[in-house]
Amino acid sequence: MSRPDNWRAGNLARSRLSAGLSNLLLVALSITAALPAQTLDQAESLWKQHRYEESKAVFEALIKAHPRNAEYRVRFGRLFLERFNAPEASKLFNEALEIQPKRADAFLGMALVAADGFEAQASYFAHKALEADPHMLEAQELLARLALEDNNPAKAAEEAHKALEMSAQSTQAKAILATIDWLNDKPVTPWDTHDGAAYETAARIFVLNRRYEEGILLFRKAIAARPDLWSAHSQLGINLMRLGREDEARTELELCYENQYRDAATVNTLRLMDSYKNFTTYKTDRTVLRLHKKEAELLHPYFEAEMLRALNTYDKKYGFHLDKPVQVEVYPDHEDFAVRTMGMPGLGALGVTFGYVVAMDSPSGRPPGTFHWASTMWHELSHVYVLNMTNFRVPRWFTEGLAVHEETAVSPEWGDRLDPHVIMAIKDHKLLPVAELDRGFVRPEYPTQVVVSYFEAGRMCDYIDREWGWPKLLAMIHDFAGGASTPEAIEKELGIKPEEFDKRFMTALTAETKKTVDGFDKWRDQLKEVATEYKAHDYEDVIRDASGIRDTYPDYVEAGNVYQFLADGYLAKGDKKAAIAELDRYAKEGGRSPDTLKQLATLLEEAGNRKEAAEVLDRLNYIYPIDEDLHRRLGDLWLSLGNTAGAIREYQAVLAKAPTDPAASHFNLAKAYRTANRPDAAKDELLLSLEAAPGFRPAQKMLLELSK
Amino acid sequence: MRLLLTLLLTAASLTATTYYVTVTGLGGEPDYEQHFAMWAKDIDKALKSTPDSKIDTLVNATRDQVRTALDGIAKQAKPQDALVLMLIGHGSYDGYEYKINLPGPDLTASELATLLDRIPATRQLVVDMTSSSGGAIEFLRRANRVVITATKNGTEKNATVFARYWVEALDDPAADSDKNDVVSALEAFRFADKKTVAFYESQNRLATEHAVLEDTGKGDGVRAPSPENGEGLLAAQFPLLRLGATAAAAKDPAKVQLLAKKEDLEQQIDKLKYEKAAIPPDEYKKQIGALLLKLAQTQQEIDK
Repeated sequence: MSRPDNWRAGNLARSRLSAGLSNLLLVALSITAALPAQTLDQAESLWKQHRYEESKAVFEALIKAHPRNAEYRVRFGRLFLERFNAPEASKLFNEALEIQPKRADAFLGMALVAADGFEAQASYFAHKALEADPHMLEAQELLARLALEDNNPAKAAEEAHKALEMSAQSTQAKAILATIDWLNDKPVTPWDTHDGAAYETAARIFVLNRRYEEGILLFRKAIAARPDLWSAHSQLGINLMRLGREDEARTELELCYENQYRDAATVNTLRLMDSYKNFTTYKTDRTVLRLHKKEAELLHPYFEAEMLRALNTYDKKYGFHLDKPVQVEVYPDHEDFAVRTMGMPGLGALGVTFGYVVAMDSPSGRPPGTFHWASTMWHELSHVYVLNMTNFRVPRWFTEGLAVHEETAVSPEWGDRLDPHVIMAIKDHKLLPVAELDRGFVRPEYPTQVVVSYFEAGRMCDYIDREWGWPKLLAMIHDFAGGASTPEAIEKELGIKPEEFDKRFMTALTAETKKTVDGFDKWRDQLKEVATEYKAHDYEDVIRDASGIRDTYPDYVEAGNVYQFLADGYLAKGDKKAAIAELDRYAKEGGRSPDTLKQLATLLEEAGNRKEAAEVLDRLNYIYPIDEDLHRRLGDLWLSLGNTAGAIREYQAVLAKAPTDPAASHFNLAKAYRTANRPDAAKDELLLSLEAAPGFRPAQKMLLELSK
Repeated sequence: MRLLLTLLLTAASLTATTYYVTVTGLGGEPDYEQHFAMWAKDIDKALKSTPDSKIDTLVNATRDQVRTALDGIAKQAKPQDALVLMLIGHGSYDGYEYKINLPGPDLTASELATLLDRIPATRQLVVDMTSSSGGAIEFLRRANRVVITATKNGTEKNATVFARYWVEALDDPAADSDKNDVVSALEAFRFADKKTVAFYESQNRLATEHAVLEDTGKGDGVRAPSPENGEGLLAAQFPLLRLGATAAAAKDPAKVQLLAKKEDLEQQIDKLKYEKAAIPPDEYKKQIGALLLKLAQTQQEIDK
């Protein structure tokens, strides 16, 4: 098969139908000239024949000739929606509603666009469509699908039955009912229509539930029933790729591409797979680590060690041993990582887990200090255990909550802090009951609801762990594996109803966060004052006012935090000890700014606390290890403290990315090897040092000593 | 070759005067003003201990102040002297002419070239670290003059960070990559450029400046000076900063033979490194190890 490679040339937008605008205009002009009176039937007929450009041209001519015709706009919008251009579709549906404000099919179009983007408004628009036309089957079918996507099978079944009342032949309604049975591990169902599109719907729901293997089987059934169902081929390819089966994935995606199915997910996944030649893979018995060649040598020791540490910890903690190696892929280009999460709900902003495969951002892909890669890795590896222990039958809130819980379980400094969005959500009583928390992840109702839901789920797991103990969380995992719902698992393991759990949890959370939530507005105003005082170098005032608000919101460690203001204030007054104390608080509260942590390390070193200085710098290895200065300083500290293994690792890290001073860098490593009684390795490094700078006296001196 | 170069560098700096002139222009905003002044101060501090040097640091200088300073050097300097001019600030380029923005009238690259051409010091280094500084190359390039600019042409107009790392090069021993106690213009350029590139990478920002070096008197400046592109030879021989005493041995007649031996070994090492690709790795390691050991032994003798 010839290998299509056009996807490399274009970006996401180019895969959209709207790309060939100039061609389109030519076609439009020629058709306008050739067909004096176009009809909607002609446009629909061309569309059915996959002659999309010609169909578009007819639609455009129709709209030009009949600007007040809403139907043409709606149908044209549906063509755009099918051909991967939701923004254009949305625009046309809106235009149709301006012409006819109660047009049901335009509302349906809006609902479909919102559903594709996992937007909360999908349900609203579907209801509006049904208000305008109570017999609109497609809107009713959509409501059933949305309910199931929201992990509400009872409501989904109810909506599906309403659709069947409208039309006993509704394959999509039957698909939803069949999917509910399959999700409940009932392989034989009376609702199986053996229809390709129905299997595809089921497959997508399985993937949303992270049950990728079963999703793949259903995509295969969809294709067997309808071989030209390219959307199913594309999803099959993407999900095979997610699970690491790249050869078959490529075959499916190339097939789509050759058959003009070139949506963003297909094209970008093919481009991502092409880029794999730029990655290096490291394997152990338990791990497969894929790193970009430009940073592989540097990151390999840190990532692999952390993977193994996490797996060994989780083996014991979860009482579960993974039966094959876990693959972690680390992307320095966030756009490459983003391809991995396309078409998935929620943030997926830092990492994503597909069974035994984890994809995550590299620390080099984000500004220094904004990303704790080790925390993300532990989070995702927790998913690997929970998903596999439950055979992927676990509510989203629980697996995410447990993963968030694990971040701070490794180290109290690691997890995400109580951020202002969460404070506002608590203040405005926007937290969801546990039984409905999945909705906050899948279909957020306000922009920050996903972040808030992560926080809430994490704190719920913290609360269960604290009040009932870790064995209860483990027992809940097993309950979910057995098919229990959230209310059932809560009731069985905690002995209370979900409503009672919500009440107790909220009481505890309110008590924990009360000082910050109640004092937030005042804190914000006072922080502004401190910033003004700081700018004016009024350090006495800075120290007085910043000290007064520090403990109202201790979690705030972002730019412009009180710890930095206080430390700088104390330094200006010559009180290094107090500055160290503030920066130490900053570090322990989870502050991640490399500059601030390095400042703390410098102050500690100056005060003679080399061990603490080394520990501070070592924190940065988990945040932003792409820093030659960090590794050199830490190497020096470890060597002086007798930690030769640590020194060797740090000096090797310096050399892993073409250091500014290769001679000194090789010499430092030679010193560490010599201290570790590895004279041959030391000599090799000395030769490399002297090769770069033959007259480098310290290296010459050591070479002579080692050559005696 | 290396020893010869070291001796040349050292001899030059011992017998002649190096005139250092640092100019900062208009910041436009308090942050820039502060940074420009701070960098100039740091350069001044780094150069203070350099022997045989005359240092003039002009913060927020006017065109007349720059003219006066350079005219003054033109009257004092001798051909064996060296001049280092460092420009920090914002620059502009309209497609025809480059200007550094100063309080009052700006200074154009062509006028600057005229002022520099009047200075008898044969060896000159101009480090223009402003935005759009690449636009100055065509005016400033000349035989025996090294021109370093923060941007590759006049159209890179964003404020630059190259100056920050050039200042670091004067302060960080790591900039002396061949460990001969002299930071050459080429070493400082490579150090600052590498750090500038790393800065943009770490910030995940598209680099808006690409420093270049021109020292042939006829090129447009290159990102990576090398024997292949013919750029960098003069810059490698231009001592920007001396870190320690390197020339004492050269004055001791009793050690002339040892120095000759050392020079011979250095040449053998250079030759072997040049042939590295054609030699099996184990054999190369054996040969270079033997030569480096002999060199270390010879140096030990010299140091006695």
